Formats: sequence, structure tokens, C-alpha cells
Amino acid sequence: MLEVKDLAKRFPPRSSDEEAPWILADLSFHVGEGEFLTMVGPSGAGKSTLLNIIAQVDNATGGEVYFRGQLIETASGAALNPGWNCQIGYVTQDDNLLPWRTLIDNVTFPLKLQGRFDGAAKRRVDELLHATNLAGFERYYPHELSGGMRKRASLIRTLAYDPPIILMDEPFGAVDAQTRTQLQQDLLRLWNLGRKTIVFVTHDIGEAISLGDRVLVLSKSPAKIIAAHSITIKRPRDLGNLYKLEGFGDMFEAVRREIQ
Amino acid sequence: MSVAVLRALPGRRSRRRLVPLGRIALGIAFLALWQFGSNAMGATWLPGPVDTIERIWKLAVSGELERDTLVTLGEAAAGMAIGGAAGAALPFLLRLSPRLMATLDPLISAAFGLPKLALAPLFILWFGIGIPTKIVFVASIVFFLIFYNGLAGILSIDPRLVAMLRVAGASEWLVSREIVWNTAKPFLFAGLKIALPRALSGAVVGEFIAADSGLGWYIQNARSLNDTTGVVAGAVIVTVLVIGINAALKRVQSRSLAWRPVSRDMTI
Repeated sequence: MLEVKDLAKRFPPRSSDEEAPWILADLSFHVGEGEFLTMVGPSGAGKSTLLNIIAQVDNATGGEVYFRGQLIETASGAALNPGWNCQIGYVTQDDNLLPWRTLIDNVTFPLKLQGRFDGAAKRRVDELLHATNLAGFERYYPHELSGGMRKRASLIRTLAYDPPIILMDEPFGAVDAQTRTQLQQDLLRLWNLGRKTIVFVTHDIGEAISLGDRVLVLSKSPAKIIAAHSITIKRPRDLGNLYKLEGFGDMFEAVRREIQ
Repeated sequence: MSVAVLRALPGRRSRRRLVPLGRIALGIAFLALWQFGSNAMGATWLPGPVDTIERIWKLAVSGELERDTLVTLGEAAAGMAIGGAAGAALPFLLRLSPRLMATLDPLISAAFGLPKLALAPLFILWFGIGIPTKIVFVASIVFFLIFYNGLAGILSIDPRLVAMLRVAGASEWLVSREIVWNTAKPFLFAGLKIALPRALSGAVVGEFIAADSGLGWYIQNARSLNDTTGVVAGAVIVTVLVIGINAALKRVQSRSLAWRPVSRDMTI
């Protein structure tokens, strides 16, 4: 589905006499169709940079990205195509809702600008609003909603226009523990409905294991993949008590040792 | 504090109702002080409110008030429209080319610093002593006020929102319309809040220099006749116009910026 080959990145140096450090170096991995891939790495490992490059918000210094076998990005310096024709969705760390638009306008905005807001899309948005307990808050502005509600709104904004692959950059980083578990459970339930391809990046080992089909472990900057684990915990998973999930504890220990 | 005491305190709502009463009381106190000062100093030194209102009434009856007000308002509005539109549009164009922005920056700063009043003789030479001169004068003042506020708005755009919209498939034009415009709007309103009164006073000052009608001309004429009541009456009329314009602006602003997280008690 998505293949990343030898990806490298460094930002322009701060001053001319010093070399900028590499953020990513020789990073390669692939994501299968319908796979929930999680990547876990320490803070500052370059996880957001990686997703920015795949989403074509930022350019790569080296390497290539393929989407369904087609080369969609190189380090050639060609103009970026953010979201690659609406095929790559991106749920960022911040909710990035438009503050001057109501919740419903925010959620339907991508559909409208892509000219796809028809009856089926409307029903889909309605379903998503109900599934995430946002029904009834459609006419509220973002600043009138709680942090958790804004997160859910930003999540279903991307789910609503249904891109084949969705990148998620620690989408539940800034909420309290209970809300976080709830949001994770919501995400798994939504994912179960459509089995989208997801690349989910986090620094939380528990989150990476409990959500994913496969976990990639990233090293400190410059980020490289140092381990890969298939997660065999059967679905549906109850995220209320992670340690009751079979095999969770051992996996957690293994990943924790690799990250250090 | 016990529950009973809390109940006894007036609620927010009833306290808010005190605000108009306070304003009226302040107004009456001001008028009384003004009249007292006039009595103490003599009506020639400080014309009192009664004389002033009497004069305004006379001007209203004779039709002079309407004529001069329309002339001045017309000049201010035309200057505001020209200078404001240019000042609001330029930041949008500069956003498309950072290099052009860097090139033009010193020129615009210098032009902003230039005292427009000092150029009045040239304006008169170029545009005559009629209405066009005042329009140009007003526009040259208003332009910078709107431009610098608009520019501050453009510079405060959140690049993450832009990236989000681009990922969702938005064109550069749509990003401009959605994010640039909506981010800049509160700044443009802040600019208008300063620029609208300045446009009116700009028109009045322009009429001081050379004119044959308008509120500035009326004040200038009264001054040359040692008619202090006329001077004060003119100033009061201009002030009332400014208050009216501000109230209208506030209505438009609160409707068009309803989405903003502002405290309801802090709307000014």
C-alpha cells in the first residue's frame, strides 16, 4: 500500500559553518492494505517529521515514497502535493480545527471542497458524529468544545472524507488518561467498521501495542527502525485494562528494552 | 461566605444593567461640569452646553448642518474607501511574494512617517481646493492604518491550519479565502476602529486648510469670526458623528466575528 525507501531528512543549518544533524536516516518500511501500523519512538525522534514528509507537507532530503506501487515523492525538489490528491489523510498532534467554523462545518469542510458532499457523505458524517458522541454539538465553535471533543472532531474530519490511508501523529497526546482511553476505544471501533490503512505514531509504548497490528520501534534521532513486532492480541480489544490483554506485558517489556 | 450572603449579592445580569445607568450619570455630571465652567469663565472663553445645543439647533433648522455634515462625511467615506481598500488589499498581495514585501518595506515605512499635513500645499496644487484634495488627504492617512493592521493579521496566520487544509485538497486560492481572510479579519476591524475616526478628523483638518463647505470649513470660519460657540458646536457635531460611526462598526464587528472566544463582559 505505502512503501517508504531510504528516507532521509535534515533541516537547513542554523549557521553556515555548522552541519545540520540528520533527523531521519535510511528509514525504510512498508504498510499493508488495511493494516493498523503503529510506530513508537522516544520524544524528538523525528516521528512528526516522518509523517510530514509522507503527507507531503515537508520535503525529504533523500529517499522515496511509493503509494500502491507508484512513486509519489522523491528528494528531487519537485513541488509538493500535500495529501497526494486527497489519498493520504493526516490527523495531526493539534486538532487544527478552523476556529471560525462550527464543528459540523469543520467536519464537512474537506468533503465540500472536494465536491463530494452528497447524500451518502451526509449520512456518513451523521454516523460518525453519533459514534463519537458529538451529535448535538454540531453548531458549536471549537473554543466552546472540550479538548477531547475537539480531538474527536479532528479525527472524524479525516475519516469523513475517507482517504485510503490515514497518518496519525500522537492524536491523543494532549488529553487526560480517561479521555485518552475512550478516544482509543472510539478509534478502534471506527477502524473496525472500515479497516482503513493507518500509520499511527506515538511515544507511548502501551498505546502502540494496544492499537496496532504491527509495531515498529524507532531509535533516537536520526530515526531508524530498530525492531518490528507483530501484535497477536485478538480483536476486539478492551483497552480499559491493558494488562489483562494476553501477551501485552511481555511485549511491553520487550519494546521498552529496545527503546532504551 | 454563607449561601444567604451569596444570594443577597446582585447577580451578573442585574449588575450589567447598572452600566447604562452609570453612563447616563457620567454624561449628566460632565454636562453639569461643562456648564459650571462656562459660567465661571464666561461664555466667550468657554461656550456652555446650552449655547452649543442652541447653535446646533439653529444650524439644523437652516439646513447648514445637513449640508456641511454630508460634505465632510462624503469626503471621509470616499477617502476611507480608497485608502482602506488599497491598505487591505496590499498585505494579501505581499503575502504571495515575501521578496516584494522585503523590498517595499522601507519605502512604506518612510511614507508612513511622512507628515501628510506638511504635504497639504502640494495636494492643493495638484488636486485644487475642492473635495478631491480632502479625499486624497484622508486616503493617505487611512491607508497606513489599515495596511499595518492587515499585515499583522497576515503574519499571524497559523501555518499548521494551512498545511491541514492543503492536505485535505484545498487550492492556494481557497487557502487565501478561508484562512488568510478569516485570520486577517479581526485585525482589519481593529484597524477600522482607529481609521474611521481618523478619516473623519482627516476630512475636517483638510477643510481647515482650504474649503468652501463642510464641518471643518464651518469651524474654521467661526474661528476667524471669534465665534467660539460655533467652534465648539462644530467640534460637538464631529464628535457625535464619530460616536455614531463607532456604534455602527461595533454592530457589524460583533456579527462578523461571532466565533471568537471573547469574554462577554469585555466587549468594547
